[in-house]
Amino acid sequence: MTILEVSEVLKAEVLVKGEGCQKAIRHVVASDLMSDVLLVDEDDMLLLTSLSSDQVLRTAQIVGAVGVIVVNGKPLPSSMVNVAHDLRMTLATSPFSKYDACVAVYEALKLK
Amino acid sequence: MTLQQVMDTCGIEGVFVPDAQAAVTAAYTSDLLSDVMAHCPDGAVLITVQNHKNTVAVCTLVGAPAILVVHNREIPAEMSDVARREGVALLRTADDQFAASCKIAAALAKNS
Amino acid sequence: MSDAIQKATDAATGNEPLVLLELIQRLKVRDVMTSKLVTVSRSDTMHAVQELMRQMKISGVPVEENGRFFGLVSIDDIIRALGGGYINDACSKHMTTKLVVLEDDMPLSFALRYFDRYRYGRFPVLNRDQHLVGIICQRDINRALLVELTNELNRIESVSSHMPGADMAYSIYVLREFPICKYDFENAGKAANQIKQVLQEKKFPPKVIRRIAVAAYELEINLCVHSDGGVLSWQISNGRAEIIARDAGPGIEDVEWACRDGTSTANEWIRSLGFGAGMGLANVKRVSDEFEITSKKGSGTTVKSVINIAAPELSVS
Repeated sequence: MTILEVSEVLKAEVLVKGEGCQKAIRHVVASDLMSDVLLVDEDDMLLLTSLSSDQVLRTAQIVGAVGVIVVNGKPLPSSMVNVAHDLRMTLATSPFSKYDACVAVYEALKLK
Repeated sequence: MTLQQVMDTCGIEGVFVPDAQAAVTAAYTSDLLSDVMAHCPDGAVLITVQNHKNTVAVCTLVGAPAILVVHNREIPAEMSDVARREGVALLRTADDQFAASCKIAAALAKNS
Repeated sequence: MSDAIQKATDAATGNEPLVLLELIQRLKVRDVMTSKLVTVSRSDTMHAVQELMRQMKISGVPVEENGRFFGLVSIDDIIRALGGGYINDACSKHMTTKLVVLEDDMPLSFALRYFDRYRYGRFPVLNRDQHLVGIICQRDINRALLVELTNELNRIESVSSHMPGADMAYSIYVLREFPICKYDFENAGKAANQIKQVLQEKKFPPKVIRRIAVAAYELEINLCVHSDGGVLSWQISNGRAEIIARDAGPGIEDVEWACRDGTSTANEWIRSLGFGAGMGLANVKRVSDEFEITSKKGSGTTVKSVINIAAPELSVS
């Protein structure tokens, strides 16, 4: 399942379509701590987070994530959209809570 | 569902459990304390990597009876001291936030 | 913000690219100067000097006899002589004797400072025995730097191999320095992103890229969150990537504690931004093949991470 398909499940608005938007997601990380994210050594992962900062995207690029979905329906700063464009990273925002998003994504991935 | 049932169903280690029969009606996943304060529902087990005494303080404010620390992060003395004082249960799992959320969700679904 | 940037760059060696800095320190004045000299003796007339200048297309003529240096006649001196009507005088009467001279074994970086300070067009060059051995002007410097830089680039590009990324790994390839300012969250992480992009373009092995990128990012964030500002630098040479973070303060009281997983001095605000989990230095250590940290409370900290880029059987040309 791709991040675009997951975004549909999470009723997320896709703000930036990045390079990895057609890749199949192989791992999901639901963390708000950058160091925690950096510990994950998996390919093609999706980052679900409550944090709406540029560093989320920069961290995502460092670990090679396919994209970032910011939860809790937070309005994202325009700087974040710019950084997503610079890094060619898919960025979306979902009204789900992180807990609900985890459950929904898990169900959707299971069915695929 | 009681805390004890959560622990049993999910195979979670209880580090400090003042009241094993405490009711757990929800779960919330976040590592940002401001976010927990704003959105964590009453009676929720907080799933987080933040092994810090401030996490306990926030839980007492929002009425969360338990914290599930992920990634097997060590619980520092400061955190367990405050937990003992405030009567907030401390649980621990080797899973990450995503896996832990899905397991708790499955347990809650089974027992509701 | 410019004060902060200044402070950050002061922690490094300067603003020039490292390749250039290395060159101007390695090259000596004698490597750059013109040594085929056109000179005159003290009894030659100003007119003779003028003729020489016209024929040889030069703007300054040293006055010397048997290597002994007496002075310099410049185009300005000629113009004054023409105006003053004494063009047929002996040049010794009108040459400039109060001169700033350079020594032939001085590094070029010295010479550049002299050019900057004195604003003369040229300097006579003397050797240890105080004999005139050459003359150096700005054009000589530009020409020499251009030649040396071209040689350097040719050397880098000519190292060949079969493994992607390895030609870069095995040449001495001094790369960039990034000044990092305290609490500059707008830019925090940018340097690491750029480093990763370069590594991807050069097609390094993905696992190696990941380790270098993680080390660079964690060190960069540390500089931003915990130091008063500093410099993140990286270079690739001899099959190793080195990432170095240097700052001028505040220093780490207990280095061992700081490197432990889960220990942090971060405040609540830092945590609310997603940092300060206390995993940074431990993370860097984890991905590094070599890890060095020196720090003193009250002064600066230097952290160095080395990651080997495995390419065993390579012959460097």
